Amino acid sequence: MSEDHSLAGEPNKAWYQTRIVLFIGGSIGVALLLVLISMALYVSSGAAQLDLSRPGYQSVQNKVDPSDKFKSFPASGTVNEATIDQFQKLYQDQVNKVTATDAFNPDVLSNQALGIDAPGADQ
Amino acid sequence: MIIAIGVFVSLPARAQDTDVMTDEHIARIKLNCASALATLGQIKTNDALVYVNRNQSYFSISDKLIARLNSRLALNRFDTTPLAKIATEYNSALTDFRTAYNDYSRVMTDLVKIDCSRQPVGFYDKVGEAREMRQDVYDAIKKLHTIIDQYRQAVDTFKQQHLTKLKANTNE
Repeated sequence: MSEDHSLAGEPNKAWYQTRIVLFIGGSIGVALLLVLISMALYVSSGAAQLDLSRPGYQSVQNKVDPSDKFKSFPASGTVNEATIDQFQKLYQDQVNKVTATDAFNPDVLSNQALGIDAPGADQ
Repeated sequence: MIIAIGVFVSLPARAQDTDVMTDEHIARIKLNCASALATLGQIKTNDALVYVNRNQSYFSISDKLIARLNSRLALNRFDTTPLAKIATEYNSALTDFRTAYNDYSRVMTDLVKIDCSRQPVGFYDKVGEAREMRQDVYDAIKKLHTIIDQYRQAVDTFKQQHLTKLKANTNE
């Protein structure tokens, strides 16, 4: 009887070990899959472009404008002439900060600027 | 048929219609490779900062100014149809700006990884591609600024059209 028990235990032990390996492997596989999905979302959603903690951007991390500097207009209350005047002044003040400076001008990537233009080319 | 195949095989394997680069041009690219890559790296880093700040500002203009005024006017039973239309256009333009920058950023990331001393032609072409994408970002910003100005004018028009009611509300 003990022989029968020991003979029956071997396959069970092997199957138990197999299940453990499968469980661990499956868990790692699921974790890797979720990481891949997360990274794909991180890149495709545009969050990556807003993340200055990435390598290579440390020098500009502390130059981000604080979001609470932007003065907002109250969303509730009466509306009269003074309200509109208040909004117009606030709007102009906030907008001038953005529209006053040029950004993403393509000239900085010109061949001349990078020194890769054809020799002797007068462009 | 054999002649046709032979003619086809003998054609140059250039898919682009750009001028063929001279050896001098390629040598110049290789010579300035390090400085060009350094410049591109600085541009890429600075662009990220500018994008974060600009994206934040443009979003705040929409969320903290435009949407709030439209909401407040609607709550006070003013017709905000023209203002709401511009707000929709602004949000669409903001999405276009973000998309344009994402595409440009990806190209720049690929560009700075190219070893221009070994791939000068590929590097040169990629710079051209990056320049075009940067132009798209620039155009998207110009469109945003145009819509910002349109909204300002629309508010001026609204004020003139509802001046009597606005003055009446002041006296209440």
